[in-house]
Amino acid sequence: MRKALPAAIPFLIVTLAMEWLVREGWIKAFLVPPPSAVFRTMIGDAPELFAALAKTSIGALTGFALSAFGGIAIAVFLSSSRAIQRAFYPYAVFFQTVPIIAIAPLLVIWFGYGMRTVVASAFIVSIFPVIANTLDGILSTDPALRDLFRLYGASPSATLWKLRFPAALPQILTGLRIAGGLAVIGAIVGEFIGGQGLGSVVDVARTQQRTDKVFAAVLLASLLGLALFGFINILSRIALRRWHASEQN
Amino acid sequence: MTEAKTAGGVALRLHRIRRAFDDLVVIRDLTLNIDAGEFLAILGPSGCGKSTLLRILAGLLVPDGGTLDVTPTDAERRTAFVFQDAQLLPWRTVLENAALPLELMGVGRAERMARARASLAEVGLAEAESRYPAQLSGGMRMRVSLARALVVQPRLLLLDEPFAALDEITRFRLDVRLRDLWIERGMTVVFVTHSITEAAFLADRAVVLTRKGGGIKLDRRFALPRVRNNELRLSPQLAKEMQNLLDAMEEEA
Amino acid sequence: MTFPRRTFLKILPAGLLAACGNSSKIRLALNWKPDPEFGGFYAADYAKHGLDVEILPGGSGTPTVQMIGAGSAEFGIIQADELLLARARGNDVVALFAAFGNSPLGIMAHASRHLESIGDVLKNGTLAIESGLPYARLLKRKFGFDHVKIVPSPGGDLTAFLNDENFAQQCFVTAEPLQAKRKGVDVKVFPISDIGYNPYTTVMAAGGDLVRMNPGMAKNMVAAVGEGWRAYLDNAAPANERMHAINPSMEAADYAEIAEAQKPLIESSPLGKMTTERWDTLAAQLKELGDIPQAPPADQCFRDL
Repeated sequence: MRKALPAAIPFLIVTLAMEWLVREGWIKAFLVPPPSAVFRTMIGDAPELFAALAKTSIGALTGFALSAFGGIAIAVFLSSSRAIQRAFYPYAVFFQTVPIIAIAPLLVIWFGYGMRTVVASAFIVSIFPVIANTLDGILSTDPALRDLFRLYGASPSATLWKLRFPAALPQILTGLRIAGGLAVIGAIVGEFIGGQGLGSVVDVARTQQRTDKVFAAVLLASLLGLALFGFINILSRIALRRWHASEQN
Repeated sequence: MTEAKTAGGVALRLHRIRRAFDDLVVIRDLTLNIDAGEFLAILGPSGCGKSTLLRILAGLLVPDGGTLDVTPTDAERRTAFVFQDAQLLPWRTVLENAALPLELMGVGRAERMARARASLAEVGLAEAESRYPAQLSGGMRMRVSLARALVVQPRLLLLDEPFAALDEITRFRLDVRLRDLWIERGMTVVFVTHSITEAAFLADRAVVLTRKGGGIKLDRRFALPRVRNNELRLSPQLAKEMQNLLDAMEEEA
Repeated sequence: MTFPRRTFLKILPAGLLAACGNSSKIRLALNWKPDPEFGGFYAADYAKHGLDVEILPGGSGTPTVQMIGAGSAEFGIIQADELLLARARGNDVVALFAAFGNSPLGIMAHASRHLESIGDVLKNGTLAIESGLPYARLLKRKFGFDHVKIVPSPGGDLTAFLNDENFAQQCFVTAEPLQAKRKGVDVKVFPISDIGYNPYTTVMAAGGDLVRMNPGMAKNMVAAVGEGWRAYLDNAAPANERMHAINPSMEAADYAEIAEAQKPLIESSPLGKMTTERWDTLAAQLKELGDIPQAPPADQCFRDL
């Protein structure tokens, strides 16, 4: 609880300031709703909002899991030779640069309306940081340690799984941290296209000019992103606790 | 553990070795014979090729020209290397690190752990076996590195300025320990160092390399006692040997 | 204590405008990319009425009604039902000129399905609509969504429609059907006005303060766009060219065809003028649907300048 306090203070200050600004008329309520209205909507529309949150969570988490395993697997494959990197890495970069909105109609054709498009969107948006960070970690192993392994006749596969992969863990976890937030964003965008979850709530509320509902949904999405980030931090603590500077003290 | 303690050493014969990196010729034409069981120190200014030479002896680098003969041939990997930085795997315990070479060579778990434990005892780290490298001092980490090198019962032990980053007292202690281990096991030791004191204290023979091109400036056997202890450090005999080395080094600097 | 501040904030932008007279830049925000729907606005001679107007093209989701409320555009194009929702949320927007007396909003389906009415569209297949809009709720009430799969409107993109015979979607009757035909699919169009929902469309609106503080500018603007639409109905070519240059995603020939096709929807009322009855009807419908708590009097919603 004490650890959460420093983070909670700015949030409280901003919330109170926003409430005062809107009530006094400095900010128009139809542009930015007062926090009290957002809170009331959270409670009033709770069944709808939390059902949507559940759907978005499934989409984001599934997309993230696919990114995590798929991204690490792809990075391990790319690490096997320079020629393979040169041949395939540019396509990995494609995932980073393709604007998801532009390929939205194609996603719907391939995956249909619903959860599959949401997962696909979350996956596409979040996989690249996993690939890039994992690959970088694997390729950055200390040359002296690689020599040590070579000296004792270690096979390339032993070198990969006993040396390069564990050494890359801190970086893999960094990649996962970034991918988590992106997966939530990707899921929401996928929901704009595919029509469900918090994305759909935002889309519909927007046309109804219900900015309070939009904010409530966005707040829930942020909490989802935060939860995922926190989960990865826990993983990081467990994996790196004993040996990496980032988790000492 | 049924392995004999004295492993014996290998004899190495380098004939007209040449090695270049891109345009830079690091070793031009080196011929050097190392007897079995010898303790050889290699000295020289920075960039003289001593680390390159060591890695050629280890089989990590292939020379561009010339031959390297090892007798007896290394059918079973019994070459060990100790780097300047302890180079431990931070996510493994001290015991697992010491056992690493055996693991890579396919030795079964029970046997390799037992041998690793014995090796750690040799360097005085028996109590630390379940700690992680992050929890150790620099001197202790270097001892683990040494234990790891010894666990394979090496016939050739190569060290590249291993104690350079340690404080003097620790350094002295490890010098003595290394010398004792060498007497016990009879392996061939090639020890690269910057330090004239260390070279003279530890070795039976020192080779000073030229500033460029890996040539031999000085090749001298010492007239010093077999057992070395800290009293020797202040003796006039040692000082005399050191003076020879110093003169040679200064000419090349 | 709050009174002076609120009024101050309201007066400030309008006052600045009034002080500068008609010589400051006036922004007209569109709610879609330039196309014949906005023809008259591009054909208007604003300079003649002493106005320096910049037209801001929009796209999918451009929040014109909020832009007016926030002051990032002096005038904006909105739909009548949007305006009623905005007013219910405290956004004082007022309608001045309705380009489309009859709503071009409709549902289009593949002709090969041989459907007879809107109700038939909702019997099976997929229907893509903006389900937050009032007409969607009206459809749901009248026909129910139990047998059709409702998905989000693809924002003008026809890929899904062309790909699936049982896919129907929201459209402007003058626009998407033509594009579908170009791509080789014949369509049947069902205007939403057929079920009795007919809000004014492509309505030019402004903030209540601007109209109160600067009636001269508002009047000139209405006059200018009125003339612009008359000119566009007469000869759409010059404005079409201007719009095509900004939005080349449609062929020049399409511009001409759509401009012609939309005429009946425009000419069916005195050009641009609105009536109290139509506003009252719409307000009642929205109240009935539960979108607004009360039906505001029509004279708050529009001005006849």
